Amino acid sequence: MNAAYEFVTGPLAWLAWGIFLLGSAYRLYSMYQLALKKDAPSVSFMDLGFSLRSIFNWLIPFNALGWRKSPVMTVTTFAFHLCLIAVPVFLVAHVTLWTEFFGISYATLPDNVADIMTLVVLAACLVFAGRRLTQKEVAYITTGKDWLALTIVTLPFLTGFLAYHQVFDYQVMIVAHIVAGEIMLAAIPFTRLSHMVFAAFTRAYMGSEFGGVRHARDW
Amino acid sequence: MGIQERLIEDVGLRRGVSRLTPEKIEKTIGAVLKGETGARLATYAETCMRCGLCAEACHFALSHPGDPSFTPAGKVHQTMSVLLDRKGRVDPDFIYGMAQLAYTECNLCRRCVHFCPIGIDTAYIISVVRRICHKLGVTPQYIQDTAHSHSAVFNQMWVKDDEWTDSLMWQEDEAREEFPGLRIPLDKEGADIYYSVIAPEPKFRTQLIYQAAAILHMSGKDWTMPAHSGWDNSDMCMFTGDFEMMGRLKRRHFESAQKLKVKRIVMGECGHALRSVYDVGNRWLGYSYPPVPVIHAVEFYWELIQEGRIKLVKKFPGPVTIQDPCNIVRGKGLQQKLREVTRFLVEGDIVEMHPNMEHNFCCAAGGGVINCGPPFKNQRVAGNTVKAEQLKATGVKTVITPCHNCHGGLHDIIHHHKLGMELKFLSDIIYECMEKPEA
Amino acid sequence: MKRTLPLLILAALTIVSALATVQAVMAQDAITKLAPEAFGTLTRPPAVFVHDKHNEKAKLEECVVCHHGGSDGKIDKSASTEGTPCVECHKVKPAGKATNLKRAYHKQCIDCHRAKGKGPLACGQCHKR
Repeated sequence: MNAAYEFVTGPLAWLAWGIFLLGSAYRLYSMYQLALKKDAPSVSFMDLGFSLRSIFNWLIPFNALGWRKSPVMTVTTFAFHLCLIAVPVFLVAHVTLWTEFFGISYATLPDNVADIMTLVVLAACLVFAGRRLTQKEVAYITTGKDWLALTIVTLPFLTGFLAYHQVFDYQVMIVAHIVAGEIMLAAIPFTRLSHMVFAAFTRAYMGSEFGGVRHARDW
Repeated sequence: MGIQERLIEDVGLRRGVSRLTPEKIEKTIGAVLKGETGARLATYAETCMRCGLCAEACHFALSHPGDPSFTPAGKVHQTMSVLLDRKGRVDPDFIYGMAQLAYTECNLCRRCVHFCPIGIDTAYIISVVRRICHKLGVTPQYIQDTAHSHSAVFNQMWVKDDEWTDSLMWQEDEAREEFPGLRIPLDKEGADIYYSVIAPEPKFRTQLIYQAAAILHMSGKDWTMPAHSGWDNSDMCMFTGDFEMMGRLKRRHFESAQKLKVKRIVMGECGHALRSVYDVGNRWLGYSYPPVPVIHAVEFYWELIQEGRIKLVKKFPGPVTIQDPCNIVRGKGLQQKLREVTRFLVEGDIVEMHPNMEHNFCCAAGGGVINCGPPFKNQRVAGNTVKAEQLKATGVKTVITPCHNCHGGLHDIIHHHKLGMELKFLSDIIYECMEKPEA
Repeated sequence: MKRTLPLLILAALTIVSALATVQAVMAQDAITKLAPEAFGTLTRPPAVFVHDKHNEKAKLEECVVCHHGGSDGKIDKSASTEGTPCVECHKVKPAGKATNLKRAYHKQCIDCHRAKGKGPLACGQCHKR
């Protein structure tokens, strides 16, 4: 089991982070080049102030009309994204690994808080899946890509939760957890999860058009 | 559920589709996707999380509860997503449905912008679908007729050059009885204002030209109207996807104003024309903003009021409500000025619709949908029961509607639901209440 | 009685010291987990560590392998420090760049396990619930 653990925390981790970081950089760069080539009129309207105005207004729960009209989704998605980012970044065990491998250390979340936040992520994933299955307007547009993205995100948190509580075989679970996390990282640039990379820019563009040209709110 | 189960027979769509082959379809779609789209479409297609939040945005979806094929994402799902997934390998029957959906079930009103956290512009995606339909020659007959008119005579309504000047002189002649000394100055070089209208005004709403002339005359402004083509600021080619023709139209329009060396263009109470002149057509020609400054009637009346140039002998009796047209509100942020002008003109309550301003529901007529004509009228009216409810809830009898398309759309809804409301352009009210010379 | 009192005292002292010794030896044997009081409230369950069994299995004869000495950030493998609690040198929150107690434990155990290719590496393997 040590060999497996060493492999997933060693070469595979480098690979996953490499795909995530270089892949994201490549996707951003090539998308920017494509935008310059094919969407120059759009690029020319980009405005930092209005971009930030739009991003800021959308980051406030219930501020945008869309948030107000779907309160359950609003609460779910804000809680989901907050926990999704905060738990892996500030988890004691993860920071311990950063320390162990690179001597880096920074603030952490108490384990019991992180545990609850993990449950929040899992509950949100259930809500998302439930919407895809039961809400007509969501079911109608749901594709395999959407289930794939949801699965990729759910697994690291599910396995992480089980590994932390040492349910089932710990050694299998911890390796599964690390692999699941690495799949998620590597999938970010190349699946629907790429909205992590692109959403700020699509939002910024809409904000720029509405702020600079259309003089109207886009939230 | 879906467009294939609600196809409506249209001569233009049917004949267009009959000429298609799978090879032609694939080639044309490929050419548009590869040649004319880029990062915008790619990111929109890739990052739409299919969350369905936009379902709450669209009047078509809200008017068809339980049918997800009317939601913004649902419409993209049935059109662009399929084209991208199948790399353009779709059959002619698919194109028929795609065209019907894109031309008649989306007004490009952009209300869904307020619902998408990622900032996806569904109207842009549907515009690309329309562009493909245009290139395939599959367009509804009625709107294509207006596009043909644009390309033949540079206006939307087959108005011939002599008919145009005749109509203006006719209105001038009529108006001089009420306003002695009134002129509709034709081709006046160096005038401050070039007044532009859409072709339906000389065709069947000539009283709007009369009223505009009266307002401009009484305000003492230095103005002109062109005697040559280019006077029509409307643009159905923008909506059919005929962007080449859209470019020619806008160039003719701008050059017509430039030839007369006017300071700026003031346009009548039309929404889509503002979109074409201020946002879309100018960009096709390479101008970030129109090469001749353009202001909408709402802004112009607001200016006149600020300058004290509109003198009223009475106020219009309220209560009234206000229809916020998407193209001047979501398109240029004129909601406050619209309210200030209304406040100036109306005595009594201004009962707001809910939602209002940028969040207002579309009239379901804009975006070229009403121009697709009688075959699609019932579907269009059925697609906006939320507007009927919204209008009814105000409890007022007068709707101030500073947009031609909104007029058309609301007229049909009011009639269908027997709401007993009347629609007013701002110019109707200004004309009715303004100071006139002693006859 | 005059002669018996010192004997009794001596005997008592002997017994007490013997008991103390036995207790100390027993304590050494009883190390089954690492939970120094210095940590205060623990984040995770204490690391399982059966001292003698570990050393037997790992064939560790020399105490200094783990109980190293050193100063100024340099490990001295010749100065054995058994009997001195780790926290004497490795503070929980040291000033400056000194290795803190948590890291010292982790380094001590995991680095060796990794080098030898034996022994637990992942959190839950030591911090068992």
